[in-house]
Amino acid sequence: MRPFIQFESVSKAFGSVTVVNALDLAIEKGEFVSLLGPSGSGKTTILMMLAGFERPTQGAIYLDGKRIDHLPPYRRQMGVVFQNYALFPHMSVAENVAFPLEMQRVPRAEIAERVERALDMVKLKHLKDRRPSQLSGGQQQRIALTRALVFEPSVILMDEPLGALDKQLREHMQLEIRELHKRLGLTIVFVTHDQSEALTMSDRIAVFNAGRIEQIDDPQVIYDTPRTRFVAEFIGETNLIEAKVASVDNHVAHLSLGAGLSARAHAGNGLSAGQTASFSLRPERIRLGAAPEGSNALDMTIADCIYHGDHMRVQLTHDDFSLVARCERLAGNWTIGASVVASFDPSDCTVLTQ
Amino acid sequence: MKAAILRERSGALLLVSPVLVFMAVFFLWPLWAMVTAAFVDDAVSKVLPRTAASIVSWDGQGIPSEAAHKALVQDLRVATDEQALGEAVRRLNSAASGFRTLLGRTIPAVKAASDPAQVDLLTVDPRWKDTRFWVALKEAMPPYTDRNILAAVDMKRDGSGSIVLEGADASAHRLIMLRTLLVAAMVTIACAVIGLPYAMLAASLTGWKRSVLLLAVVLPLWTSLLVRTAAWFILLQNEGLINGALQAIGLINSPLPLIFNRLGVVIAMTHVLLPFMVLPIYSVILGIPGNLMSAAQSMGAGPVRAFWRVLLPLSLPGILSGSLLVFMVAIGYYITPALLGGANDQMISSVIAFYATGTANWGLAGALGLILLVVTTVLYTIYGRFSTSPQVPGA
Amino acid sequence: MFRALQITFGIAIVIFLLMPIFAILPLAFTSSVFLNYPIPAYSMRWMHELTTADVWRTSIVNSLIIGSGATVLATVLGTLASLGMRKGALPMVSLLRTLFLLPMVVPAVVLGVGMQIFLVRLGLASTYLGVTIAHSVLCIPFVIVSVSAALQGIDPSIERAASSLGAPPVTVFRRVTLPLAIPGVVSGAIFAFATSLDEVVLTLFVAGPNQRTLARQMFSSIRENINPTVAAAALLLIIGTLCLGGLAALLRWRQKRSALMTAPSAI
Repeated sequence: MRPFIQFESVSKAFGSVTVVNALDLAIEKGEFVSLLGPSGSGKTTILMMLAGFERPTQGAIYLDGKRIDHLPPYRRQMGVVFQNYALFPHMSVAENVAFPLEMQRVPRAEIAERVERALDMVKLKHLKDRRPSQLSGGQQQRIALTRALVFEPSVILMDEPLGALDKQLREHMQLEIRELHKRLGLTIVFVTHDQSEALTMSDRIAVFNAGRIEQIDDPQVIYDTPRTRFVAEFIGETNLIEAKVASVDNHVAHLSLGAGLSARAHAGNGLSAGQTASFSLRPERIRLGAAPEGSNALDMTIADCIYHGDHMRVQLTHDDFSLVARCERLAGNWTIGASVVASFDPSDCTVLTQ
Repeated sequence: MKAAILRERSGALLLVSPVLVFMAVFFLWPLWAMVTAAFVDDAVSKVLPRTAASIVSWDGQGIPSEAAHKALVQDLRVATDEQALGEAVRRLNSAASGFRTLLGRTIPAVKAASDPAQVDLLTVDPRWKDTRFWVALKEAMPPYTDRNILAAVDMKRDGSGSIVLEGADASAHRLIMLRTLLVAAMVTIACAVIGLPYAMLAASLTGWKRSVLLLAVVLPLWTSLLVRTAAWFILLQNEGLINGALQAIGLINSPLPLIFNRLGVVIAMTHVLLPFMVLPIYSVILGIPGNLMSAAQSMGAGPVRAFWRVLLPLSLPGILSGSLLVFMVAIGYYITPALLGGANDQMISSVIAFYATGTANWGLAGALGLILLVVTTVLYTIYGRFSTSPQVPGA
Repeated sequence: MFRALQITFGIAIVIFLLMPIFAILPLAFTSSVFLNYPIPAYSMRWMHELTTADVWRTSIVNSLIIGSGATVLATVLGTLASLGMRKGALPMVSLLRTLFLLPMVVPAVVLGVGMQIFLVRLGLASTYLGVTIAHSVLCIPFVIVSVSAALQGIDPSIERAASSLGAPPVTVFRRVTLPLAIPGVVSGAIFAFATSLDEVVLTLFVAGPNQRTLARQMFSSIRENINPTVAAAALLLIIGTLCLGGLAALLRWRQKRSALMTAPSAI
């Protein structure tokens, strides 16, 4: 039994430039999967191959068990929402929404009724005779979404659909799309370069870099235990620690951090004594002050303290070893130059494979 | 994958091919026909193929051998296409005067003879003893000629085949080309001198004032060229508005000669071509950030220095492409000089038109046309380097 | 001082640019036989002459026949070519484009000489078909420029959207591409018609006495025997081209507006 959507070692090259490299990706029915990555990482190309606008150079794509990579876009039954909405400027809102139903030769009376219902759902029924140019960005976005949903496609593809909206509206639309996804049980593939958008909306996130998936997991796993240096740095902020492994016992690595400091970290398989490895430690996992039982405790000096409104960012040094910690504003009275104990749990310090 | 690209490509080709064929047949081929008209010279050799083959070996001294005579008689006997024969006679007569009457007597005699072998050209007409006619015949035989292109630049081949200048009185093509360049240069300078400050003024204004200035440029562009030329005719003629007004306010007593001379041509052409100067400069100036001039002045440059050091260098691309455009269109101009110029203001286009429609001398018209075409193409290529969007010149 | 100079200069050039057009118009209604000011009295005699005299009436009819023919031919061919050159599927598209725009650049007299030689060989000299074809060559670039600009203004993702919503290529073209390109096609056709209407030089070379167009008739009238009929004809042409130009401007304005429509506006 194949997954609902499956990419099987799909590659895409434009001329001599390989944009997607031997990609394997499986998406289940009803999942909300985000493709996250910097521009040029191949995420949009993957979406375009799924929609049928680009053909894979190699490999196969399956939808619901059937191979689709040779099908033209209009036979794939996927609703696509484009970054700039791509509403038809010469048609009214209602005509835009009716377009996919007309293509499916739905009877006229039923079209009118379904358009009405769909516009009602996004609360824009009163705008149905307007032209897209007469709508605000948020309204255009909602119409584009409605148009993609109205013909009940098996999958909804979204290519950075919220990129052109301002911050407040964007957050509002994130919630609205998430709500629609839950209510209608949609399968959504969502392309974005905005990590917080991906974290808040997705069931799973696939992080792309240079045409490959670096990690695909649910948001919490991606954030808490990034597997690679790229993921750790691309999502959130992190302390990258290069350390020498002194010994490993029972999945606990004893590290020597340099400058006479040592710490313990959670280690996966494959770490051995004597090797140098990279570790990620999220700033908000570092506590300042008394160290609880069983945690790492490092003697550090406060080098700088930056005010961020709801939190403080504290720069810590010990000779040439340095860390950034993120603290509650009122957690203490930090003075630059003061000595402090920085502590963190070994399980929060995760090893990176590269 | 490959098939999809191929299908898309063949679809595109299918859409483009009608125009491609149309332009190849009705644009490139006519131009080619004009170019070949300048170099092809087969009017005689087509009608007299045997003579052509036989006279090649003649050294040009005395008269050719009996074989050439026989060949000529043969050719003339079978020449039935009156039109082609007429063209050949015309071609020969232009090379050696008297050829027409010579052939006028020879052809009927040759055709009437019962046995071609018995015809002796020298007894039909003693002028066949004249080397001059045989030389003209021999020289008319090669199917290609550089005669027209040489004549177009006032040159010819002398008896020995080397290229020499035509006599000073014979033709004046060089003079006309020089005049064409001169008039075009005058018009270009006039357009630049008026167009640059005008474009800067338009760019510095806002609201309705800018609209009026731009409308004044665009409105003539929409107006028929003939209407504008006719209008200048009315304004410039001796009894015209300008002379009338000047006389009415007592500035002059007798009308100034404004029409049928160089001045009239330059004024009218400047009017017609000014938009092609103003629009490129205007668009370049609009692209210059407005605060640059203020920035220059804040650094201590006065308005004049700021203009010289900032605005002028930055608008230079516009001036350059405008000037190229105006010059390029001006050298090919026909209507305005034809209607408003005097005999001494005719430009190369008028001469081409004269040879083509007036005297049916396609060869010379083609040769002059080729020169104009080459110059225009070179200018257009240079222009293409400066400007990304081709402006739309009107003929 | 400098300001005054600027204003004087601006007004002087505006007058220079507009005066000829406005100077000729009143003369269409002069009662005099001379194309001259002052106008002794106003009359419709030259307008009457224009519409009744055989040479003028036929020339107007000829202009309309040839203009319509050239417009249809150029619009169809030019639109097809613009569509074909649009996606960049063809190699050497820029070379093709340059070739198609070349008739705007080649001096009319040069093309005229070539056309005359060539059409005589084809037996098309002094025929309506020949003149129409010659005009079309000049009109095609205007159509291509106009239609290509319109096509370029269409956001490709709009067509992709249509395709993803279930429209096969023919439907995408019919329902989306064509409606959005139509303003460009129409304004191209208008430019083509105006170009044909104003064409003299090619007509001089390829038309016989039977295909004399209005512009050609004005040319010989100015050259040989200028009289106020020329002003009447000029009035007719100005009104005609202004209407056409206005129409084209209106379309371009609407097109620009619809181009804005397709752009996302962040509230």
